[in-house]
Amino acid sequence: MSADLSNIFSEELQSATDLNGLSQLRVKYLGKKGIITAELKALSALAAEERKAAGKRVNDLKSSVEAALDFKEASLKSDSLRSKLLSESIDISLPGKSSGFGRQHPLSRIMSEITDIFVRMGFSIEEGPEVELDRYNFELLNIPKDHPARDMQDTFYVSDEILLRTHTSPVQVRVMQRQKPPLRFIAPGRVYRCDADITHSPMFHQVEGLMVDKDITFSNLKAVLRTFVHQMFGADTAVRFRPSFFPFTEPSVEIDIGCFLCGQAGCRVCKSTGWLEVLGAGMVNPAVLENVGYDPDEYSGFAFGMGIERIAMLKYAIDDIRLFFDNDIKFLKQF
Amino acid sequence: MKVSYNWLKEIAGIDAPVSEAAHRLTMTGLEVEGIEHIQDDCVLEVNVTPNRPDCLSIIGIARELSALYKTSLNMPPHDVIAHPGDLDFNVDILDYDLCNRYAGRIVRNVKIADSPDWMKQRLEKCGIRPINNVVDITNYVLLEFGHPLHAFDLSKVKGHRIRIASAGQISGGTGIKITTLDGVERQTPADTLLILDSENPIGIAGIMGGQDSEVDGNTKDLFIESAYFDPASIRRSSRALGLKTEASYRFERGCDIKALKKALDRAAYLMKELADGELYGKIDMYPKKFTPVSLDVKYEKVNRVLGLSLEKHQMLDCIEGLGFEIETSDKSFSVIVPAFRKDMTRDYDVIEEIARMYGYDNIPAVLPRAAVGIDSPAHMSETSSQISSEIKQALLKSGYTEALNLSFMSESDLDLLSVPQDDERRRVVKIKNPLRSEEACMRTMILPSLLINLMHNLSHGNRDVRIFESSRIFISKEADSLPDERHSVCSIYYKEKAKTLYPESANDFFVVKGIAESILKDLGLGSCSFVRSSEQFLHPGQSADIYSGAQKIGFIGALNPIVFDKLGIKASRPTLIALEFSIDTIGLCSFTQPKYRQLPKFPAIDRDVAMVMDSGFAASDLKRFVAGYSSDLIEDVYIFDVYQGQNIPEGKKSIAFSIRYRAADRTLTEQEIDSLHKSLVSHLSEKTSGQVRQ
Repeated sequence: MSADLSNIFSEELQSATDLNGLSQLRVKYLGKKGIITAELKALSALAAEERKAAGKRVNDLKSSVEAALDFKEASLKSDSLRSKLLSESIDISLPGKSSGFGRQHPLSRIMSEITDIFVRMGFSIEEGPEVELDRYNFELLNIPKDHPARDMQDTFYVSDEILLRTHTSPVQVRVMQRQKPPLRFIAPGRVYRCDADITHSPMFHQVEGLMVDKDITFSNLKAVLRTFVHQMFGADTAVRFRPSFFPFTEPSVEIDIGCFLCGQAGCRVCKSTGWLEVLGAGMVNPAVLENVGYDPDEYSGFAFGMGIERIAMLKYAIDDIRLFFDNDIKFLKQF
Repeated sequence: MKVSYNWLKEIAGIDAPVSEAAHRLTMTGLEVEGIEHIQDDCVLEVNVTPNRPDCLSIIGIARELSALYKTSLNMPPHDVIAHPGDLDFNVDILDYDLCNRYAGRIVRNVKIADSPDWMKQRLEKCGIRPINNVVDITNYVLLEFGHPLHAFDLSKVKGHRIRIASAGQISGGTGIKITTLDGVERQTPADTLLILDSENPIGIAGIMGGQDSEVDGNTKDLFIESAYFDPASIRRSSRALGLKTEASYRFERGCDIKALKKALDRAAYLMKELADGELYGKIDMYPKKFTPVSLDVKYEKVNRVLGLSLEKHQMLDCIEGLGFEIETSDKSFSVIVPAFRKDMTRDYDVIEEIARMYGYDNIPAVLPRAAVGIDSPAHMSETSSQISSEIKQALLKSGYTEALNLSFMSESDLDLLSVPQDDERRRVVKIKNPLRSEEACMRTMILPSLLINLMHNLSHGNRDVRIFESSRIFISKEADSLPDERHSVCSIYYKEKAKTLYPESANDFFVVKGIAESILKDLGLGSCSFVRSSEQFLHPGQSADIYSGAQKIGFIGALNPIVFDKLGIKASRPTLIALEFSIDTIGLCSFTQPKYRQLPKFPAIDRDVAMVMDSGFAASDLKRFVAGYSSDLIEDVYIFDVYQGQNIPEGKKSIAFSIRYRAADRTLTEQEIDSLHKSLVSHLSEKTSGQVRQ
């Protein structure tokens, strides 16, 4: 009898295709007046010796029916949820709603790369005025009036004594006048020269650096700037130090890196030399130290400077400096 | 400077391959920027720095080479024998300070002709056009010795006399007119040094000769000048006259006052050899004698500055052959500086000579001992740079791209934006020598630059432009003092009506205001308010000045359509929202530090209400009035709908908002809330004269 009942239940369970049918089935077998409930009640009428075996049989049947119903219910619920979710399907290939992030200007990006490297080497960051006194821009840096070194920097004037700074070097003087050594800082900023063509802009950016303390040597200059070059352009970059001239440093040096555009084989950009000039530097001229009230027998130091546009042009292979300042979105979004 | 390598080899006495010699010159400070092969010779393009005028010559560069290769210099022949006898020619130097030495020779019966080919070729390789033997010889010697010479046609020098005087000395304080060799009549300033005969000026000293005394095809007799003029004076005159020549270039950098006689004799020698000239006695006025300086250098200091440990003899060996006289003692040595090395004035200059001849590449690289410390930069306060970097990051993440512009503008940019005449942004710093009239002033605001960028982008087909710039503006103060330099950030958000994939419902003003509010909140700037702006270039109904407390820190607003018209932007419903922050002013505001508040333990209850108000009612007042109602149980109020139109009377609007109630110590009951809400609503209704919408 139970075997029959079990078979009937199985058939009925199979034909129940929704939660409603399933619930009716549960009532039919397990409800107050359900078939299995009735059989359980009927047990009490049996003799004690029969009751035990029959009881086990009915209870087993009840558990298996319950389990089968629960299983079917869970599966129907999950089917229904799945079909509901499928009906909510969207085209995930459509683009997201966002205006996208903006891009940092390539010059800003290079500037941050440079300042980060020096900050990691323990340099702090200083600023100074862009509209500057002749005294700070030239005279205190050992460039007197009527000196041919002024030819190196064509100057915009506001008045006889006020000009647009031609380099970030006046920040050296301002900081040294204000503070005593040890000093270790960089000064990024805008500078101005009256010159405009595809490689010169009347305004451009420089990063200046200064380190002054007791016993700072030329070999320290070499190590710090070589470290910088290796961080900025890669550890395999060839570096050479070449004598040069700046009125405010002595000895002065220009730092070339191996041309990464042609692998030093010689190209148009490096004028077939295999080298690209990227930094000017030198030991701070004792005349400058004296001008700010330092004793050159006690302190020595080195200074350096570099042009950001030049580095950005080399790094991104940009051939016209004016592109930086047209601010064409299609240009700016490339970086 | 262009130089022939064969010529260099001849004088330097070397026979090295050109690439090697060029490399060694570059690595000792004379950068060879290019090598050009011409026939059996090479032309080196040498970049001579302003401190080394001695190297503006074959002999100067050859001296460097001979020091490098340890050869001896072959000076070109310059011994001459002159005819004896009285010259009947006088030279008077009237200004000793500007003319320290003046020498000359008379050469008679020269035969003007073409120079020989070897000379022409050498001149051409060095970039000088051959003219005739006499002119070519002066140019040849200029290249060889680096000393400028000038040949006058003796027959045109009146009164057998040359005077050297400043224009002012002759004219009694004013300038003097002279027509120079290039055929230009020039008015010389009073402090310009002139060469004159007994009557007239015949040349501008050290810069260019006069046309009236020019050597021509009929010239027979010459006066050759070799002089030394004050460098600063030549530079001033050359700049004042706008006239730069090979001669002025060298004189203003400093020539060799001792060697000028050799250059003169070399020219005389060549005049005899190549133009059959007869040489006569020499004039040499030398009122201001050169006294060489002696530089004392401690051996120990050389090593201390360079980070080397050279032996004494190594140091001395480095600088041998550079023309220095050296005396040694136990702890130091002294260098007697020759007249052609004006750049050497102290021991450091000698140290540099040792370093460059030793080779910078041979000096080891050693990282300095670190002095650890943290100092506070004083000029731009740390907060200013932090604020500007935070705003920059926020704008980038909000979809703005960074622009950088030249710091210039024109005053007409301010007219375009109708900036009032008494506005401080009219106090511009003017540049005396701008390259273009559009770049004649320093910017007092960034917006004009961004509008120029916008126009550029529109003309290049970019229709959706969101850019910002963070930089300085310059407000002029009293004359003779430096301007106020302030840090400012300005952004523009430009859009045209375009088809979009997703609905974009909000007015762009609120999109940008949302960005501004997020930035201010992120900075920790408490109690910011937006007050209608009176900026003429903004839409009067869609703009606001931004305040933190009583401090104006920026503005936000739609560009006034008048400005669009002036710019000539013709697009379909363009909108441009400008946002500007004054970084330095923000830096002055008070910032709130984050402070922990206990998290709520009991549930909140929200009640919505809609009220009909005058359409001019500012939503921000609602918050103020709610805050003004005294109860600890009101946690928040937020507006979720503003509506005008059907069912709302003309001149009115409906504002729907939600009030959130919460008690810190218990769960509120419905009854409590009901009576509190009712009382709050009637308070608001009274304050705003608004009607609750049923």
